Amino acid sequence: MGTRSRAIVIRPADLAWVNVAAHLRRLTEYGDLLRTLSVHRINVRYRQTLLGIGWAVLQPLLMMAIFAVVFSRLARIPSEGAPYALFAYVALLPWTFFATSVTNATGSLVNNTQLLTKVYFPREILPLTYVVAALFDFTIGLGALGGLMAWFRVPLTAAALYLIPLIALLALWAFAVSLLLSAVQVRWRDIGVALPMLVQIWMFISPVIYPLDVVPANWRPLYLLNPVAGIINAFRDVLLRGQSPQMVPLIYAFAVTAIALPVAYVVFKQTEATMADIV
Amino acid sequence: MIDVAFDRVSKRYRVRQSAASGGGLHDFWAVRDVSFDVARGEAFGLVGHNGAGKSTILKMLSQITTPTQGEIRLAGRVAALIEVGSGFHPELTGRENVYLSGSILGMRRREIQAKFDRIVEFSGVGQFIDTPVKWYSSGMYVRLGFAVAAHLDPDILLVDEVLAVGDAAFQVQCIERLNELRRAGMTMLFISHDLLSIERLCDRVAIVEKGRLVAHGSPHEIVAAYQQMTATSHVAAMADANAPSPDAAARVEGVTFHDENASEVLTANTGEPLVARVHYMVQRAVRDAVVEVFYYSRDGRVLHCQQSTAVAGGELTLLPGRGAVEFSMPGLGLQPGVYAIGATIRERSASETIDWWYGRTALCVEPGRAVRGYFYTPHDWRLVVEHGQGGSSLQRS
Repeated sequence: MGTRSRAIVIRPADLAWVNVAAHLRRLTEYGDLLRTLSVHRINVRYRQTLLGIGWAVLQPLLMMAIFAVVFSRLARIPSEGAPYALFAYVALLPWTFFATSVTNATGSLVNNTQLLTKVYFPREILPLTYVVAALFDFTIGLGALGGLMAWFRVPLTAAALYLIPLIALLALWAFAVSLLLSAVQVRWRDIGVALPMLVQIWMFISPVIYPLDVVPANWRPLYLLNPVAGIINAFRDVLLRGQSPQMVPLIYAFAVTAIALPVAYVVFKQTEATMADIV
Repeated sequence: MIDVAFDRVSKRYRVRQSAASGGGLHDFWAVRDVSFDVARGEAFGLVGHNGAGKSTILKMLSQITTPTQGEIRLAGRVAALIEVGSGFHPELTGRENVYLSGSILGMRRREIQAKFDRIVEFSGVGQFIDTPVKWYSSGMYVRLGFAVAAHLDPDILLVDEVLAVGDAAFQVQCIERLNELRRAGMTMLFISHDLLSIERLCDRVAIVEKGRLVAHGSPHEIVAAYQQMTATSHVAAMADANAPSPDAAARVEGVTFHDENASEVLTANTGEPLVARVHYMVQRAVRDAVVEVFYYSRDGRVLHCQQSTAVAGGELTLLPGRGAVEFSMPGLGLQPGVYAIGATIRERSASETIDWWYGRTALCVEPGRAVRGYFYTPHDWRLVVEHGQGGSSLQRS
């Protein structure tokens, strides 16, 4: 017998913020499941593929090559003095992480109906594992970035250490969006249908192809409500220029995430109560 | 010490109606005002028809869905021994799937490591444990899935219809494992259609009917009561599907069963005399008629036995008016169980049946003189001594 740690009381769902602490405590008890499922995502994704983990590097590299030809050669988009290929890759790396996380996590609940209707575990683990799996790809892609920077002779400075809090912030933001979209997807499958388009649009309203500077100053506050914008801009600051990131865009990114994540979590947990009935 | 307490629990589903029936939402109470307690170390069983609310109760217990009203208190960790192979991924090996499925079912990694050898041994897939499960036979897949689930070690175990997996030998192994857990003092909740297992494994049983707990008591008592209930009501729902056309030449009005003294009975005993009466109402005379009774399995899928006026006796002509055709059995051949009853009237020469009647009654058969095998045949016996040492050479009991 396991140790009888505590009694569980199951009551009708209610929108109580005080429950968040209890939910989080519960989540930590399922740390093993989170780990096993995340490793599973990574394992399964590239199984029976020829290139295997190579895809994690190839995806952003191919995008970079296409962007370099189309946007630099043909459209002559400025790249703030850096080689455009590198300029694009530095943004594509966090962007691919974000887009992959959100795309996979949104379907994570409806694609696992089998589990949802049969077994209980904190449901946020499902979207979260996709974010963790994407984080793994990101780390691989980071290795390729090192190679590219050496090739273009861009020096790596201590400012690169900023990447750690930056990616953490981006992961939290990706998690918030994933929670919200996956929960809504359970009820309205429209999200899944609209998602590829949404991700496209999202890329265009983020400074992936172009620098943040080209956004008119009076549009800036609105533009920066998208945390991805501030974070990508900071990636360029710390990697291409080797300097501390511009703070204002990051404060926007942090503030929006700090508000969105708890809201998304409560909405998600609210949906969880009846998820198995409507999925 | 109470491990599971259900306190006036209800669960409402909002069902969206089709536009044809007015659209909009209407409420459906899958579970209504259910209260019960399960003591520590007790094995509690729930029986009921499909859709009676058993599974909803289990889902609320395992927190897959939340109640609409009421409260459930659990004194410990709950795990469900549910449909096996939950979370198996075809591309992963047996070993990887044991870890994956185990952690989905709520085991810690270290716990799985410790039990790994026992799980593999239980499953009997041994040498294939490092093969992707997509190459497994369905039997191996099911056995490995169950082996993982059977090694859960919670305070409270929920068991939902899992006893029907694998071959007979594996089922015995499963039952043994459940008994082992039960002896170890685990609190258990069973849900099953399989009355025999429920009776064998539980200390106490309750009947769920239309979302309510209608009776509870000792397994033997409740299983008997449930069979009675089933005999009278279960199949009623199917009956409306085949309402007869009003202008038919003849109609079956019902089937009743009677004992030797002609008094009506709802239950019968294997091997003992029984009379089945097919009541008819004839509008226009039917020449060379054939009347038949069918004994189906409870779910209507298997026809166990048929009685027909076509195989014995002379020609039958049904004249306008009410009446009944009696089939008498010197010894009922059916084995214990619940049978759904059907009856037909047709003309021998015509391909179409005049009336087909099904499912408004059921026959509950109790052991009586039940024997092993598929059916009972009325039999007698005598002793035949080839080299008699005097006295009578024939002896009868």
